[in-house]
Amino acid sequence: MVLLVWSVTSGLGLVGEAKLPTPWATARAFLRLAWDPERGESLLLTATMWSTGRVAAAFVLVVSVGIPIGVLMGASSLVNGLLSPLVDPFRSAPVVALLPIFVMWLGIGEGMKVAFLFTGAVVYLIPLTRDAMQAVPRAYWEGARDLGATPFEAVLHTVLPLAKPRIADGVIVSTSIMWTYITVAEYVNAKEGLGQVIQNARRFSAMDQVFVGIFVIIALALLTHFIMTTLKRRLYPWETD
Amino acid sequence: MTDAVGDQPAASTPSDVRLTLEEIVQEYPHADGSGVLRVLDGISLDLHKPAINMLLGPSGCGKSTLMRMMGGVRAAGIKVPTSGRIWIDGQPCDGAHDDAVMVFQAYTNRPDLSVRENVAFPFELELWKRRVPDAHEREQRVDAMLAAVGLADKAHHRPAQLSGGQNQRVALARALVLRPRILLLDEPFGALDAQTRTEMQQLLVELWRAWPCLIVFVTHDVTEALLIGDRVIVLSTQPARVADDFTVSEPRPRSVAWQRSTEASQIEERILTKLHERGGAGQVRVTV
Repeated sequence: MVLLVWSVTSGLGLVGEAKLPTPWATARAFLRLAWDPERGESLLLTATMWSTGRVAAAFVLVVSVGIPIGVLMGASSLVNGLLSPLVDPFRSAPVVALLPIFVMWLGIGEGMKVAFLFTGAVVYLIPLTRDAMQAVPRAYWEGARDLGATPFEAVLHTVLPLAKPRIADGVIVSTSIMWTYITVAEYVNAKEGLGQVIQNARRFSAMDQVFVGIFVIIALALLTHFIMTTLKRRLYPWETD
Repeated sequence: MTDAVGDQPAASTPSDVRLTLEEIVQEYPHADGSGVLRVLDGISLDLHKPAINMLLGPSGCGKSTLMRMMGGVRAAGIKVPTSGRIWIDGQPCDGAHDDAVMVFQAYTNRPDLSVRENVAFPFELELWKRRVPDAHEREQRVDAMLAAVGLADKAHHRPAQLSGGQNQRVALARALVLRPRILLLDEPFGALDAQTRTEMQQLLVELWRAWPCLIVFVTHDVTEALLIGDRVIVLSTQPARVADDFTVSEPRPRSVAWQRSTEASQIEERILTKLHERGGAGQVRVTV
């Protein structure tokens, strides 16, 4: 359907090719980027590896920082009271607008890019993890306490396991968010990555290549999403019982 | 059946326990701040025999409040009990203790764990690991309990794949695997259909024969009290006082013929009269 509208619009010349390339031109650009016979390398593959690597590095940080903080906030109203004024406003803050600050503080290297992705995603994962913990019915907590569990045990052995599927949902959302921020992160000091492919192409008004970059990012985001939702269903089959 | 729980002779019977309630009063402040609502009004009881003690009273009379008190559960922000004392073996019981294990109407079986893991769950906790240090014994107890409640073949199912009655079997198994000296049951079969309830009542009696602990069984069902109780303690309502307290000597299982006998209907009549004398709101149920 999208392809049809796209073909008709660009084919009839309703929008100039400088603004909207034809699907055919985009496919050609894809092949050219996927394998450059003169240089004997795949620009697209290299760019994808770089972008995926940055998202993966940020993912590890987001999960290992975001989940413990969210779990603590969900388990203790004291911790929640202390941290939520720091975390919650960022959910609606324009993280992209903070990019110049990141550049000033961290420079233009890899550290800045990963830190930017991390910040953009962790401000979602923390509250989502907290909410997942709080959504577990209190009866389970009380049931564990009645059996002699300490508050710590009740959280660790009862609330946390039951919150896991919703925490997994939070991880999936945060990862999607990182894929949307990757281009922004890679606009700065663009040397490699899909964001750089798009940025360079735009500079040379190669709209077909811009489209290729966008499509590859969408495809990667969808693929990640698919893998993670499948994994989640495998890990927590009881959730759908 | 009998050796399913008590396969180790040394631990096949619970040690004696004496649970004493002394002039228990519980009051709650009214929401609008105008005085207090007295729920329990000087309840004194002495429970010391390994027996099934039925705590019978109209809905909303404070039976559950009393039972949670015996279990050592204390609501936050309020003095429980307002006055009076609970003693276990002469020791004041002022808070959480592990002599008693509770089972409620709303079963809290974990949806993410299998039936077996649910029954074994208490052994994940430090308290019960300390109490039963031998891992092999813990495993054995879990398997024996699964067999005793008739769920050995469903050990790897999840709670969502079980019926309401089967879920309540899991809850009973999880409590009894700890071999408690006191078992507190709060309307455990209240949400089940009549047929399943009868099965569960029989099962409970069988389980109790294998592990004759001190059971306090809260119910608002007169028939249930007469069917399985050794002793029936009738509570009146608002505020609750002990309206009647008697033993049922008819051996179990109590036949349908006995349930329809003059003796049974006289007891029933007596309970209802006592409750009406005291007046007040709340419902009791008679199912025969």
